[in-house]
Amino acid sequence: MASCIYFCDNKGKTILSRRYRDDIPTSAIEKFPSLLLEAEHESSVVPPCLTHNGVQYMFIQHNDVYVLTMSRSLSINVAEVFSFLYKLVDVLAEYVKTVEEESIRDNFVIIYELLDEMLDYGIPQITETKMLKQYITQKSFKLIKSVKKSKNVVRPPSQLTQSVSWRPEGIVYKKNEAFLDVVESINMLISANGQVLRSEILGKVKVKSHLSGMPDLKLGLNDKGIFTSDDSSNKSDRSTGKNSNIELEDLKFHQCVRLSKFENEKIITFIPPDGDFELMNYRLSTPIKPLIWCDAKIQVHSQSRIEIHCRAKAQIKKKSSANNVEILIPVPEDADSPKFRYSHGSLKYVPEKSAILWKIKTFNGGKEYSFAAHLGLPSMTDVEVPKAKRPIQVKFQIPYFTTSGIQVRYLKVQEPKLQYQSYPWVRYITESGDDYTIRTA
Amino acid sequence: MSDQRIFSKYKAHEIRSELQQGNSKKHRASAIKRKNALKKIVVNLSMGFSSEMALLFPEILQYWHIDDDMEVKRICHHFLVAMAPTKSANFQEALRLVTEDFNSGNEPLRVLALRTLSSVPISTYFDECRKSVYMVLNKGSESEQLKKTALYAARKLTQMEDKQSGAIINFLHQIMENQKEKPGIRANALYVLYEIQETTKTLQTLTLDFDTCMDMLELLPALNEWDNSRLLDSLTGNYIPQNHSDAHYMIEKTIPQLQHANTSVVLNAFKFVIYLTNYVDFLMESLVKQLSASIISLLNKPPELEFLVLRNIILLLIGREKPILSVDVSYFFVEFNDPIYIKDTKLEILYLLAKEDNLSQILQELKEYATDIDIQMSRKAIRAVGNLAVKLERCVDECMNLLLELLDFEVEYIVQEIVSVFKNVLRRYPEKYEICLFKLIHFTDSVQEPESRGSMIWIITQYSDHLRNYLELFQSFTDNFLNEALEVQFSILSSVIKLFTRNPTPATEKLCIDILKCSTEKSDCPDLRDRAFMYWRLLSSAQQSQGSLIDMNAVREIVDGALPVIALNSHLDPQIVEELELNIGTIASIYLKPVGQVFRLNKPRRLPRSPAFNSNRDGIEVISENSRSHSSSLTEKSSGSRPRRKSSPVKKMEDYDRPAETINQLKLKKKTSSAAMNLTRKPSILARKLSMRKPFA
Repeated sequence: MASCIYFCDNKGKTILSRRYRDDIPTSAIEKFPSLLLEAEHESSVVPPCLTHNGVQYMFIQHNDVYVLTMSRSLSINVAEVFSFLYKLVDVLAEYVKTVEEESIRDNFVIIYELLDEMLDYGIPQITETKMLKQYITQKSFKLIKSVKKSKNVVRPPSQLTQSVSWRPEGIVYKKNEAFLDVVESINMLISANGQVLRSEILGKVKVKSHLSGMPDLKLGLNDKGIFTSDDSSNKSDRSTGKNSNIELEDLKFHQCVRLSKFENEKIITFIPPDGDFELMNYRLSTPIKPLIWCDAKIQVHSQSRIEIHCRAKAQIKKKSSANNVEILIPVPEDADSPKFRYSHGSLKYVPEKSAILWKIKTFNGGKEYSFAAHLGLPSMTDVEVPKAKRPIQVKFQIPYFTTSGIQVRYLKVQEPKLQYQSYPWVRYITESGDDYTIRTA
Repeated sequence: MSDQRIFSKYKAHEIRSELQQGNSKKHRASAIKRKNALKKIVVNLSMGFSSEMALLFPEILQYWHIDDDMEVKRICHHFLVAMAPTKSANFQEALRLVTEDFNSGNEPLRVLALRTLSSVPISTYFDECRKSVYMVLNKGSESEQLKKTALYAARKLTQMEDKQSGAIINFLHQIMENQKEKPGIRANALYVLYEIQETTKTLQTLTLDFDTCMDMLELLPALNEWDNSRLLDSLTGNYIPQNHSDAHYMIEKTIPQLQHANTSVVLNAFKFVIYLTNYVDFLMESLVKQLSASIISLLNKPPELEFLVLRNIILLLIGREKPILSVDVSYFFVEFNDPIYIKDTKLEILYLLAKEDNLSQILQELKEYATDIDIQMSRKAIRAVGNLAVKLERCVDECMNLLLELLDFEVEYIVQEIVSVFKNVLRRYPEKYEICLFKLIHFTDSVQEPESRGSMIWIITQYSDHLRNYLELFQSFTDNFLNEALEVQFSILSSVIKLFTRNPTPATEKLCIDILKCSTEKSDCPDLRDRAFMYWRLLSSAQQSQGSLIDMNAVREIVDGALPVIALNSHLDPQIVEELELNIGTIASIYLKPVGQVFRLNKPRRLPRSPAFNSNRDGIEVISENSRSHSSSLTEKSSGSRPRRKSSPVKKMEDYDRPAETINQLKLKKKTSSAAMNLTRKPSILARKLSMRKPFA
């Protein structure tokens, strides 16, 4: 797959390199900075693939580093390359906290080791941090010692050869617990006149497993697809209106889930990795009304002032409430002397973002708040600069609530040998996604 | 001694003295010192000072043994691999050390040694490597990791020496078909075979039969995610379904993989399914739905992956008359925060998806982008509107109205772009001039760019009959003829001839002669001069001799004939599409170019023919769920009986269909703890919250 991996600084100069195949000349990496510069010239954001002299440069950006791979062949699987690079950064982050130029330099030995383990001949191998940590530790091991005490020989654990490549054996917890977090993020695009152009729910089920041994877990959700096998009960459910099952559009599972079992029998079964992992994610694109509705009237009197009237309403159940609501309303960059009138939350002018930030700690369902703002604009302006049409951004969290209505029906834990009692915990939260935006006129 | 100092350029003798210095002092301190010196070598190697570091070869050999430390070993092996191109004489000496490492009992060290053996291009190394590879792969008890390394080493061997490769390939086939071998090894053997076949021109395709393919798909659950993705990749094109039901069966086997969390697995499964659809007689509607849903979900991945997915969607949209995906346009609405390359691609997709029924929605979006801050984006959006007008005959008016509406903004670059776009629209629909002509000519003075100036000139010339003051308008361009860009000069030249032939008045004649003189006498461009002379001769021959072959009408016919209707071709060559579909998820699909076009070394890929092959891909019927017939038999049997719940206190897996009582629901409390409120999307923070002693109290 990949011929080499390079870590480069933000100018494209090499920090660290690991070459797996000899088909790329060393001069290729020396061209990278100038290629970057060239691409930056064309547009501010560099596309993730560049090609020069028959060499394909594929890279991702993370903090101040570029993680780059190169290949000669056009038939290289970029999907694998990009997925792997992201995974690599994730794994490194577990070892060195933040992946940035300095930490890479400080830990280059361990990074070399990791690169050796995670790729063989440029082909991705094991990328589960839990497994890697078994034999790549921050300290280096002495061979002499380990030979003497043959018990402590550091070698890839035998699990690597088993079918469960993500969980080592012999894990013991005093109290066996599993925590489930159902997190739903709402992405929404609303036009300036309040029409919902696009809405989708992105859900995740995160698991933190504190379970001993090799437990086999079974998760039950109120998904229609999962429960349709129960035809009779399903119908009665619908008629009574209780426990209405929902239909998830697309599910994606962690590699521990037995996919064929799910496909055939609609049961989610898995042997979990130890600790935290994302068990599944799902997507729903049913039309939903904005949970936090926001209407801003922005009047710009050029060369004198700008007036903003904004109303926001929490369109959720009376009982629940949205927390940490943040509404970011863009204003022109040269605005000054803000004057505010508001009843709830806190209102601030954030010049570095050229926006007004309205924060409401708790926003109870059904309530409606508003504010009015008045900012001055300089009377002298340069030649008419086209105004950026930046959208209003909304952030919020609604605990104990899922928009899709998904529910965990049960989580069963079975450990064939240990047969312990375990405690599953579930928690729900809905929050704004990365793109919860309202366009401005 | 600080780590920072490791990252700087060193001379060989500096490091050498450091290495030797360490020798004399106390054991512990010297070991650390020596290790630091070795680290400096690695850093210098990666900074590209390999020739300087090559001088240290003897020292590396010397220290190979002294520190029996894995880290030191790693550095030494790294050094050998980096030095491989030099083929220095020291390698003979090193070979002994490497084989010693390989024969040690230590697993990682053996892996390391085998890798080194396979990466040094010296024949003695190859011999040793071949021996080791056979040894490792024949022995059942070796670890999976070592065996995988051996497989990859085998791949290198076939690249390096052609003579032996036949035997190795046969050996790999044996491993792949060996039922007793571990799943990971078999999958990788297949992958290695596939890679060898891919890069060697002389080799036939793998052609796996139904049973082998089935066998391989059975392995999927036992593999790690990367092996999974590679297995699916290698099956594409190498297994050829011989009849429709085989293909259906394989599709059903592969479908579960679409739900993998790893993007590359999903894309490869997707590719395999798409490949198989070439061999089926019909498609289930549910399959189309599932494919679409799973690909749409990938759009929420990081931008680089999103980009890849978008490009692949485009591919499937352009390629087929009847697209195999059914996706809603709203997924491709541009977000403010999208990187520019994603915005671009989304715009392209919106254009391709546009049909009569969703046009108003898309136009609304395009209007939004046209007034965007980003000039490039806004230009492209306008261009897209223009192209839509050309593409969708029934919706021209809607598109034109939008363009005219945008013209009212009077922003400079928008005007430029709209004028250019209108040229195309008017070429396609010459009769549609009434609504736009008079509005457009208001902007005669504000067109600046060569392309829009050229377009404006063309428009004025084309509709000179309807414009009373056309000469006046036209003269605003000719006044400064010599300072215009070359392409504008060309259009002025041909327009002036057209105007003259249409309406030979003294005014047009004077203008015509002025321009002809100017271009023949003052222009530096030979092409322009040539063209001007050509026109001049044409005109003079028509006017001078009445009896000649050419009269004024013929000239008019030549310079001002009817233009061919333009059409947009948004469809790629079916053969290219075929190849691209086999390359889903590869870099070829990003550039939308066939592999062979860019690299001659790569084999072009073709869909292998078989009795089940569908020559007319757009003719495949999509069948709705109700009429589902034979293919369902495979899944039905599994959803039969379900065991009852047992009353034992220990929970059993069999009673999954009943809710467990022990589930601990979190109820909403009046006073929500602040810990729970600060939940964010970051998994690390979530984890911290969860790990608190009493998180839910």
